[in-house]
Amino acid sequence: MDQRRSVSDLFNPLRPESNRNPPLYPSLIPKTLISLPKRGQNPSGAQKPPAMETTVSYQRFPKVRIREMKDEYCKFELRETDASMANALRRVMIAEVPTVAIDLVEIEVNSSVLNDEFIAHRLGLIPLTSDNAMRMRFSRDCDSCDGDGQCEFCSVEFHLNVCCDSDQTLDVTSADLRSAEASVIPVDLAVKALAMESSSTSYEAAEQRGIIIVKLRRGQELRLRAIARKGIGKDHAKWSPAATVTFMYEPDIHINEDLMETLSLDEKRAWIESSPTKVFDLDPNTGQVVVVDPEAYTYDDEVIKKAEAMGKPGLVEINAKEDSFIFTVESTGAIKASQLVLNAIDVLRQKLDAVRLQDAEENDFSELKAHLG
Amino acid sequence: MVAQESDPVVDYKTLTVPVKSAVDKFDLLPAFLKVRGLVKEHIDSFNYFIDHGIHKIVEANKRLVCVHDPTLFLEYKRIYVGNPTVHVDLVEQKITPQMCRLSDRTYAAPIFVDVEFTKGNQPNKQIEQRQRMQIGQMPIMLRSSHCVLRGKDEAELAKLGECPLDPGGYFIAKGNEKVILIQEQLSKNRIIIDRDSKGRVSASVTSSTHETKSKTVFFMEKDKIYLQLNQFSKPVPIMIILKAMGIESDQEIVQMLGRDPRYGSLLLPSIQECYSEKIYTQKQALDYLDEKAGSTGAARARIRKEGEARKIIRDIFLANVPVSHGNFRPKCIYAAVMLRRMMDAILNSDTMDDKDYVGNKRLELSGQLMSLLFEDLFKTMNTHALEHVNSAYSKSNSAMLDFTSVLQRFSPITQGLERAISTGNWDLKRFKMHRKGVSQGLCRLSFIAALGHMTRISPQFEKTRKVSGPRALQPSQWGMLCPCDTPEGEACGLTKNLALMTHVTTDEEEGPIISVCQSLGVQDLASLSGEEIHSPTSFLVIFNGLILGKHKDPKRFANAMRKLRRKGKLGEFVSIFVNDQQRCVYVASDGGRVCRPLVIADEGVSRIKEHHMKELRDGVRCFNDFLRDGLIEYLDVNEENNAVISLYEHQDKDLNGEKNEVDRKSITHVEIEPFTILGVCAGLIPYPHHNQSPRNTYQCAMGKQAMGNIAYNQLFRADSLIYLLVYPQRPLLTTKSIELVGYDKLGAGQNATVAVMSYSGYDIEDAIVMNKSSLDRGFGRCITMKKYSVLKEKTDRIIRPQNEQNKQILDADGIAAPGEIIRNHDIYVNKQSPKNPRDSSALKDQVYVDSNAKYKGVEGETTVVDRVLLCSDTDDKLSIKCIIRHTRRPELSRINSREERKRSGMEKGGVGGMEEGGAKEQKGMEEE
Repeated sequence: MDQRRSVSDLFNPLRPESNRNPPLYPSLIPKTLISLPKRGQNPSGAQKPPAMETTVSYQRFPKVRIREMKDEYCKFELRETDASMANALRRVMIAEVPTVAIDLVEIEVNSSVLNDEFIAHRLGLIPLTSDNAMRMRFSRDCDSCDGDGQCEFCSVEFHLNVCCDSDQTLDVTSADLRSAEASVIPVDLAVKALAMESSSTSYEAAEQRGIIIVKLRRGQELRLRAIARKGIGKDHAKWSPAATVTFMYEPDIHINEDLMETLSLDEKRAWIESSPTKVFDLDPNTGQVVVVDPEAYTYDDEVIKKAEAMGKPGLVEINAKEDSFIFTVESTGAIKASQLVLNAIDVLRQKLDAVRLQDAEENDFSELKAHLG
Repeated sequence: MVAQESDPVVDYKTLTVPVKSAVDKFDLLPAFLKVRGLVKEHIDSFNYFIDHGIHKIVEANKRLVCVHDPTLFLEYKRIYVGNPTVHVDLVEQKITPQMCRLSDRTYAAPIFVDVEFTKGNQPNKQIEQRQRMQIGQMPIMLRSSHCVLRGKDEAELAKLGECPLDPGGYFIAKGNEKVILIQEQLSKNRIIIDRDSKGRVSASVTSSTHETKSKTVFFMEKDKIYLQLNQFSKPVPIMIILKAMGIESDQEIVQMLGRDPRYGSLLLPSIQECYSEKIYTQKQALDYLDEKAGSTGAARARIRKEGEARKIIRDIFLANVPVSHGNFRPKCIYAAVMLRRMMDAILNSDTMDDKDYVGNKRLELSGQLMSLLFEDLFKTMNTHALEHVNSAYSKSNSAMLDFTSVLQRFSPITQGLERAISTGNWDLKRFKMHRKGVSQGLCRLSFIAALGHMTRISPQFEKTRKVSGPRALQPSQWGMLCPCDTPEGEACGLTKNLALMTHVTTDEEEGPIISVCQSLGVQDLASLSGEEIHSPTSFLVIFNGLILGKHKDPKRFANAMRKLRRKGKLGEFVSIFVNDQQRCVYVASDGGRVCRPLVIADEGVSRIKEHHMKELRDGVRCFNDFLRDGLIEYLDVNEENNAVISLYEHQDKDLNGEKNEVDRKSITHVEIEPFTILGVCAGLIPYPHHNQSPRNTYQCAMGKQAMGNIAYNQLFRADSLIYLLVYPQRPLLTTKSIELVGYDKLGAGQNATVAVMSYSGYDIEDAIVMNKSSLDRGFGRCITMKKYSVLKEKTDRIIRPQNEQNKQILDADGIAAPGEIIRNHDIYVNKQSPKNPRDSSALKDQVYVDSNAKYKGVEGETTVVDRVLLCSDTDDKLSIKCIIRHTRRPELSRINSREERKRSGMEKGGVGGMEEGGAKEQKGMEEE
């Protein structure tokens, strides 16, 4: 556990209110605190930019506490860092963590009602299991296939061959896609297989029919070859592994107990009711207003307005803790939510490395300056 | 909630009164639309023309007789229209509308006549008969009584390649769908009192009969009244006209106007003028008029024979009033009534007619316009045949001479009808009608656009500016014409749209109605003296603009007529209107009146009860049963003036518990559904009554631009350009109209989640910032399909490609293969034409030059050959149509891209908006 806090933190201009952060109570210290992976042999602020010859270090040691973790869902706290970091992480998760998705479709026969581009687009949007995506190559810089993207290192081939010969409408689904590689299959099939494995009783998952691509009536046929490639969400949303990634500031709620005691029980109740979400409650024994769920607060200012309307400004003080974030990550299933976070950190680090390398080579901040105006 | 007895605001007594369950009459609407369809007025009108109108035209012109030999003749016995067919290689083949659309044909059916005729010029001729002689082809309106789609269910329509939601009501001319717009006109054969451009009070009648069309105007200038008629070179004093019609006594004239001395004094200057001209007798008057007759020069007037004026007065002056056996009396009385109304208007300007009043207007529908066109062409055909026979008779002594062969050889009907419909030019010299843009290509931008186009009413006059009267919303258009749906700008308020339940009447047989009137106690005009006509105890009865007689008890007469109508003994669209001010009862059965159904209420109690509605829901009762049982009736604009219509069932107390000011007993009708005052386009707006009114008007125009689905057969159509949405959605919120119209089945647009935030920077009006991921996932993705046609002349050839450049997408037959990606400069039909088309002898390769069709597209776009259609056109030439498809995603507002602007020279605005990651285009701009 890394409980160090460098003295310089107190002087950090980016954290004017850092001293107002209450220390972590022992009971709140999480069981799993992971500190972000350190860069090799460079711990604390040893690597200072040569341009900035100051004694002040901006390096911080963010902490992560995982609250909930499932395959497709993950909720964690990120502390002791600032919004730029949290947002960078969020954006990388959405747009820059690579996955595999169908990118090239060769249609042999299509007598369905949907046209070729339509089907190609729909195929592209099917999420594929992409656990290997980090190790794969982008087809544009694949050496073994000269960038035409049809080799084992950068692509996975799929085949689809469906023909309807009954009077009933036939659904062509992701289950009809035949993959050349067992590790890259439509996500819903992988989930189904997993469910079948773990418990034979869960029919629910087994009955799912897969993602519908097109419906065929008698005599219609769809035959195609598709190539899935590695890509990132920035290029097309089909490569985004994230369904939703959000973070919120942790609220810091202080009730002015003295002022609160001047309210009658009915007034307290009315005040509590004024919040659209259940943040406060009345202790049935003591009649005191207590904060039950600070994270339910949506920064709507309703309680503050209510307090002002009641003639008690300053009844409650709510501030966002500017260095604590609560992340919610939902994955499409292409990679596990936890893996998504780790991959995002990896990608982020690679990007930073790229900046640093460029830095060392050219010592040129022109691009950065251009961005800063 | 705890009830507090002391609460003064709420009166609990009114709350506890049981709520009367109002009968929900909404179900009547779908029933109405099921019976009538959305464009019933077009179809009804065309059906009337095909089933009745055409017979009348032929009946009126049925005999052709050679001038030299009265025994050489032809008589039309019967006329009828067959089923839509087409001749292919001399074989008659049934056609469907979809076939016509795809192969550029006209959807038309043969017109047959049964004739009796004599042949040659031998002395004793045999009367021969001929059945089913074809004289031309009649374009058939879709879903009309002669259309193959009539009465077909959804599955059958699908088999014919037709969309079940398509309303029909348009024609297909040379493969193009054409709508004949509803034309708005001033009533024919009615007296209109108005101020003319010089501010004079005038009374005018536009007469229109099968024989003549004329306009008679009375006007007052310097206290004297004159008649203006095109046939007279100058305005003629009215007294002279009256004298010419045989009323020589001034006293009788004054009596005819009425006994009020004010009328007499107003007429005095006119009487004096007549005397100053020294005209006292009918003979003098006629001589005077003979002089004035003729619109050009005195030279021509001198050649005119005597009696010209008499002819004019008989046939042209107030042509709608018939003169039988030289009896001018009805005409005199009519003129007197006109004068009287004019004087009323002078004495009291409130009695002036309002030209913008919907009751003074008639809507001319496709049936009437087709009927005019047909009449003109039919007469042209007959006169041509007559001329030919007359000249041939005198020249040769051919025994074979007969009318049928001439008619077969020359028939302008097919050509004429087709040309008029496809160009929209109604040029009928015979009827002095020169109108352009009568028919328009049906707007297939979206389903709603097509529907909206069918209900459009084009204005009567040119779009003259300044005058605001005709543009203003008329109170009388309530329920008949949509108050919202009108374009902005030039045609604002002039172009209108029908409301949802409006019906436009067709002509009805007059004879039976007249006899009903007479048996109900209308005193005939012939038996009345001038004095008696305007006696203060009686009302005039006017039927279709003709004075029928007078009635002592107008209220009883009107009620009796209405009762007969409700019983079904009289046509359902006959209107009876008592005008207390003019002391007239107007009975009307003419075509072109707008009317709408209303629930009859006896002393405020609706006749429709819950059990009726239950029967309707159970399918035992249909809309026509309601009509037959006298629960519902049609009221036209005039008759609405005699009715008190409540929006909902009458409540004795309003919501606040206060007494309703309207007396229940005064209510005569209840509205079926209030929202039916809106038209098809305005019906799509949810909660329109919460909007600022121009917003609704804007939406009416914009709803048509929405992209989405056009019809169920959209992928099998060959329109020149179609825009479709890849993922169209149903609106989240539907209105009742949306369900009725079927918009929920053919939606246009997508439901977007929009966050609205006021913040500096993005506060540009009418713009939206879009999420790039949603565009990636298919939001706003659209398909455009464009048609490229190639006509292969008989001498041309299409050859197999030899692996040349730009010919990769061609099939072995030399035509592009469906499904191939087509790029700029690709050839899609590998056609060659001979250098000299006339030289057909040696067809060697050298003789031919390339005349292939090259695709011009935008570099970098992926367009695909969607379909290729091969068909032979009407000249038996091979027509090749390639439908080329392009799938597009919303792009950063194109107008901002300089590159784009250079390329296309300020294209029309694309999708306004920006994308988060759409930096490509922006980057492109920076680089320039």
